Amino acid sequence: MSRLFFREALCRAMNEEMARDPRVILLGQDIAAHGGSYGETRGLFERFGAARVRNTPVAEAATVGIAAGAAAAGLRPLAFITYLDFLMLGLDPLVNYAAKLKFKSAGQLSAPLVVKATAGAKGQGPTHAQSIESWLMNVPGLTVLAPSTAGDAYGLLKTALRAPGPVVFIDHKRLFPLGGAVPDREELVAAGSAALRRDGRHVTIVAHSYMCVVALEAAELLAARGIEAEVIDLRSLWPIDWGMLADSARRTGHALFVEEGQEVCGVGAELAFGLRERVAGLCVSRLGARRAPVAASAVLEAYTIPQAHGIVEAALRLLGGAARK
Amino acid sequence: MLATQVCSYNHYSMWHKEGEFREPARGSIGGASAADRQRRLRSMLLARVFEQTLLRQPKPGFQLLSRGEEAVAVGVCAALERTDPLLCSGRSIAVALARGVPAGALLAELIGKDGGPNRGRAGRAHVSMPSVGLFGAHGVVGGNLTVAAGVALAQSQLQTGAVTCCVFGDGACGAGSLHETLNIAALWRLPLLLVCDNNGYAVSTPVREGLAFQGLTSIAGPFGVPATVVDGADVDAVAAAVGEAAAEIRAGKGPWFLELCCARLGSHSTLTREERPAAEVEASVAQQDPLRLYERRLRDDGMLDDALWTRMRADVDAEMADAARFVETSPWPDPREALLDV
Repeated sequence: MSRLFFREALCRAMNEEMARDPRVILLGQDIAAHGGSYGETRGLFERFGAARVRNTPVAEAATVGIAAGAAAAGLRPLAFITYLDFLMLGLDPLVNYAAKLKFKSAGQLSAPLVVKATAGAKGQGPTHAQSIESWLMNVPGLTVLAPSTAGDAYGLLKTALRAPGPVVFIDHKRLFPLGGAVPDREELVAAGSAALRRDGRHVTIVAHSYMCVVALEAAELLAARGIEAEVIDLRSLWPIDWGMLADSARRTGHALFVEEGQEVCGVGAELAFGLRERVAGLCVSRLGARRAPVAASAVLEAYTIPQAHGIVEAALRLLGGAARK
Repeated sequence: MLATQVCSYNHYSMWHKEGEFREPARGSIGGASAADRQRRLRSMLLARVFEQTLLRQPKPGFQLLSRGEEAVAVGVCAALERTDPLLCSGRSIAVALARGVPAGALLAELIGKDGGPNRGRAGRAHVSMPSVGLFGAHGVVGGNLTVAAGVALAQSQLQTGAVTCCVFGDGACGAGSLHETLNIAALWRLPLLLVCDNNGYAVSTPVREGLAFQGLTSIAGPFGVPATVVDGADVDAVAAAVGEAAAEIRAGKGPWFLELCCARLGSHSTLTREERPAAEVEASVAQQDPLRLYERRLRDDGMLDDALWTRMRADVDAEMADAARFVETSPWPDPREALLDV
């Protein structure tokens, strides 16, 4: 194991996959000599050249559309969307073309592109902060991945770059500066596999991306009150690892779903419903962003987005105010 | 030569000023032999008779007919190589037939039966058959432009030497995707041929009401993309222009924009009200029907007589009768197929 920053883990995955498969190309704003908005493509332009590491103009619709078309015609493009908010501009080619291509061509064509987009609030205000991954879960044909650790960023991005169809790979601004263990030998993380981050017997907390970090903080606070929270990192929003979620929920009987995006029609809404169908008598609750845009001010942002103490309160409410023995 | 002489249509001539655009070798038949030209006539006739057969089906459905725009499809396909990926809009019937999708299979696709190349999942808006070079129609107006640029990027990267061609309507010229596509295609010198099939209307909105810029090819200028305006009712002119553009693109000179002016001889779709003045539609039918114009042209050039024309029509009728029988016997898809290939 090595310790790498999250952005370095992404870079290593791209480095290895580009060396392994000449069809992998990168398309995005500021990814060439600049090294990526978050430093995650440093060195790739120098190693693989301008034909495979292509700066694009500020044109998200074309970037995703070109990646989709190139994928359909035999390449394996990775398209960078600097802020997940801007993927809205590229949703047409992603949803109307790439996600449907295999189906509508009756299996003759497919579009194995990866769209890497950066979610999350970190002081940049209403349109550089949104976590809209639940929108994407709604689209048949899309795989949606959202790692929270450097090791998973590495393993899941490699999986994405070998996937048979379109993948949206969501990272997070607050994860880039964090470090984590990354296996020295090549290791892939399968889509559809969640990860157990902390054992507990009283309540299951399910989160993804940066909210896993916050959920683990909350679990520490709960432990101080005698409540043992099990924390599951979803990692893959579609497909969903129902098996791991159901096993945990059966043991604890209580499941709290935490996300940075909106609660309404959110990730938690889907997971709670799906788990209730699978686990009889399960008590569920959810915590997401309050129903407002994300403000630029740190004070306002923090009020909107779930924080560790809010997760603690939500868990206590779910458990009826006392830990079950 | 003047664009106004090439395209003498009302919706068009009011826009184009003398000498504004470069013309292809006008009147040239692009080296086409008599047999080539007879094939073009037959191909246009097949599209016409196909659509008549389609409309006689018990439930023809929501279709965008190619009537009046057959010369665009046939001319484009005549000039491209089979290995050149071709993408088109949802007005796909003539394009698919000209590209070589069998008539029975196409009819089955349009009706929603299992014998279609996409087993009824795509319909006319999304039909594809990569084995014959039809990379696919796409039902979102302007939605195929960026995709086509990506297909062209793949050709360039994989060094196939192929030209990617995207046929889209004048309505797509109001979409931002054309701006983005022209910009990146020019920057990256993509082997991309953009073919605007300008039938004068986006459903009910005339070009002059939907687009602020004068002359559709003028949009290519700022990007340094060469552009040509051609009479889209003249199949030989279309084939010659596409051939010329494709040769330049294949030589590594980057993208090309081609505007083919023609007239929609019917309403936008089988479900859309016709709101153009009757006189305008009648005039188009009388003056801009590419099939009738070409039949007359080949007679004038001594390449068609009554006997050949009768044989050709009987041959096409027989092909369509076969196609109709194929569709009748083609099963409906198993409903559970609705969940396959997701």
